[in-house]
Amino acid sequence: MIKHMIKLVWNRKRVNILIMIEIFFSFIVLFAAILGGVFYIDNYLKPIGFEYQNVWRIGISDNQNREESVASETSRNNEPAQPGSPQAVNSKAETVRQLAIAVREFPEVEEVSFATIAPYSNSTMESAMDGDGVPIRFGVDIVSDDFQKALGLQVVLGRWFSREDDGQQYQPVVINQLMARELFGDSDPIGKEPRRPKKGPDKEQSNEPPRRIVGVISDFRKDGEYAASENFMFRRITIDDKMEKTPNNMLIKVRPGATAALEERLIKRLQNSARNFSFEIEPLSKMREEMNLIRLAPVIAGGLIAAFLMIMVAMGLTGVLWQNVTQRTREIGLRRAKGATKNKIYQQILGELVIISTFGLAIGIIIVSQFQILKVIDFISLRVYVMSMIISVILIYALTVLCGLYPSRMATKIHPAEALHYE
Amino acid sequence: MVTSEEISRTAKQSIAHGSPDASDMIRMEGVEKVYRTDRIETVALSNINLAIRKGEFISIMGPSGSGKSTLLNIIGLLDAPSGGKVTINGKHISSYSDRNLARVRNEELGFIFQTFHLINDLSVIDNVEIPLLYRKGSSGSERRSLALQALERVGLSARVHHFPSQLSGGQQQRVAIARAIVGNPKILLADEPTGNLDSQMGDEIMDVLKSLNQTEGTTIVMVTHDPRQADKTERIIRLFDGRQVD
Repeated sequence: MIKHMIKLVWNRKRVNILIMIEIFFSFIVLFAAILGGVFYIDNYLKPIGFEYQNVWRIGISDNQNREESVASETSRNNEPAQPGSPQAVNSKAETVRQLAIAVREFPEVEEVSFATIAPYSNSTMESAMDGDGVPIRFGVDIVSDDFQKALGLQVVLGRWFSREDDGQQYQPVVINQLMARELFGDSDPIGKEPRRPKKGPDKEQSNEPPRRIVGVISDFRKDGEYAASENFMFRRITIDDKMEKTPNNMLIKVRPGATAALEERLIKRLQNSARNFSFEIEPLSKMREEMNLIRLAPVIAGGLIAAFLMIMVAMGLTGVLWQNVTQRTREIGLRRAKGATKNKIYQQILGELVIISTFGLAIGIIIVSQFQILKVIDFISLRVYVMSMIISVILIYALTVLCGLYPSRMATKIHPAEALHYE
Repeated sequence: MVTSEEISRTAKQSIAHGSPDASDMIRMEGVEKVYRTDRIETVALSNINLAIRKGEFISIMGPSGSGKSTLLNIIGLLDAPSGGKVTINGKHISSYSDRNLARVRNEELGFIFQTFHLINDLSVIDNVEIPLLYRKGSSGSERRSLALQALERVGLSARVHHFPSQLSGGQQQRVAIARAIVGNPKILLADEPTGNLDSQMGDEIMDVLKSLNQTEGTTIVMVTHDPRQADKTERIIRLFDGRQVD
């Protein structure tokens, strides 16, 4: 019977092609929405590699630096400390040290650290390493020694930055496991000094000390739960004369239950310590909510559009199938006369629909598979891709069967004697 | 040798006496068919008493609207009577479920229609196989073999892979006959089988039916408007306004 149905569907391909195309496009749209959803769910279920609870970001803005820059453009007679000059660096390093001391004085504060980029800040710094001639890209953050404790990063190999790294001829770096695997496979990455690419914007500078891997952390997904895992490297910032610029962010770990009152006291205290700086405090939990909203918005919008399209497709498909059944009234009458039960007619209409859907889906699967084979969407894992494909296929089958139920039921109600005389 | 007159007489006697005869292939007692709408009640058949013996070839005649096709549909279990009793090959089918009626249609009855009712998107052999698709336990190769045999019996074994649109009207009706006989039914019901054919092709189809009746012993009930074709059958049942007049 299945062979008979396949033959009939194939021989009626001109009639069925529109349904096949409709199912094909439905699959593509649904797959895109499902892929986004599964990708986010898969990311959400993985650990982000740091703790955001009770961590506050204090944004630091160096007003003096900005004013001086403007002033130096207009008049060079007053000769203020030029940005980047030894005096300016000393002054900034001292201010930052004072800020850290001031914050540590609060009993509610457990840890104080500095970072160039704060988690959930929507900022990105990228670089590349040479992986056997292929540049391996990764995200970067420059952080202080206390950053690991403040954010609860999990070191799985080697160690975090420490005083041990002071005055060394190398730049200590800590990378995540994903990057360690990509750069060195299963071999131990500790002590290795990966080189930067010989060409391109991230090429090695001649006076740059080598970067030595001192530790590996489990992961660090700075953009949170919905972001994909990516290669990541931490470089060390030291608050001393070599400090290139004032860190933009102070990340502090506060005791549970710390309130907005602490925020006010902190701002006041920081402002007293550095009058030319301005500060802004925001809990990471709040930044996380905002980031998650930004990440989820396109998926929710895509999901709504896909759902709307599916409803349109469902209504269209039901109409087309209903018309098909009407056009096949005489054939249905004939089949009933030749011994088909109502149930067999029902199965035939639904069975043919499933076969048509299978043709449409097969084309869809072949096309969407190309994106994965050609690595067009390489940030999505094969597992997520295949799972999304399976869910989409199941949903399309469910949709088409659902759309076919009523027309099939109508087909069984066709009176055979009337059907045979139907014009 | 039993003549058609004798068969007719015996059938009438058995109906009149109300005693079912084991040789009756089709038996109808007091059959009525009334179509009801909200306002109108149309009597299509009234008090039909009929017995058709095994191996008989009869025709049903009557003007348009006299109930010929309704009678054929009731015999073919495509329509249910409003009253009376129908027995097919000794089975009282009035209480049969949809599944059982379908099984009887599939195993005991073969249908031939005026407009052939071939599925244009299937080849000749695939059309002929259709009744066997609804028969349990028949494999693909068995179905193919039986379909080829049926096509051979109607002289169309050279056209198995053609599509209906590539055949003449007479050939299409032969395919329809092959489809009707592929499952070896005991009864063939033909609704104006020559109605869409010219006289020569009509004669050819009648020859095929006659041959099936004589060589296989198939009981044939044929509705026709054509007295020339009706005369070739053993007995003519005439209907007028839903009543049996002869």
